[in-house]
Amino acid sequence: MADETTAAAVPGRNAKRETIAFFIAVAGWLVPGLGHALLKMWGRAVMSFLSVGLLVILGAGMRGNVFSSGGNDAFDALGFLADLGTGTFYLAATKLEANGADVSHAGGDYGTRFLATAGVLNLLTALHAYEAARGRKA
Amino acid sequence: MNAGMGFKLSHLQSMLLFAALISVAFGFLSRRRPMDRVKYILWSLFLFLLIGVGIGWAMYPFSH
Repeated sequence: MADETTAAAVPGRNAKRETIAFFIAVAGWLVPGLGHALLKMWGRAVMSFLSVGLLVILGAGMRGNVFSSGGNDAFDALGFLADLGTGTFYLAATKLEANGADVSHAGGDYGTRFLATAGVLNLLTALHAYEAARGRKA
Repeated sequence: MNAGMGFKLSHLQSMLLFAALISVAFGFLSRRRPMDRVKYILWSLFLFLLIGVGIGWAMYPFSH
């Protein structure tokens, strides 16, 4: 009987853990570092927040291209997906870049890469928080 | 750097900043112990710069 109880309880516990892990990943995507903060991984939380935040500030300050949903081609769509990876910082980037993008010089081009990298890095940290919440070694 | 939200960085400054930020983030994500993190960050930063400067020199003949 004990085995049956245990066997029945484990899938339920796993499903709950998966749900919590999913919400932690979403939180980590929306606010960089929040996923790790919820798991009390403070060092990783602070460094994720600072790294992604600084990349966004520098990228927008260098007048990199913040892609919007109304892109013309596949590269614009991919750029939008990468930028969207920064979560709420995407909105901050659009606000910071009041004068619009200027990729006619190298600085603007670098800025575009900084912004895209910030997004991809944040997605990576959110995935890391998800795996840690699932109990995988992190 | 200019005042306000306009940053004017050289190629080298941009590459250094990029490499440093990514190396620190990777170091904190992939290693747990502080000493391991420092080693990873320094090694990653070194490789970023080595490969960046290496690619720059590899492209140099084509710029003339």
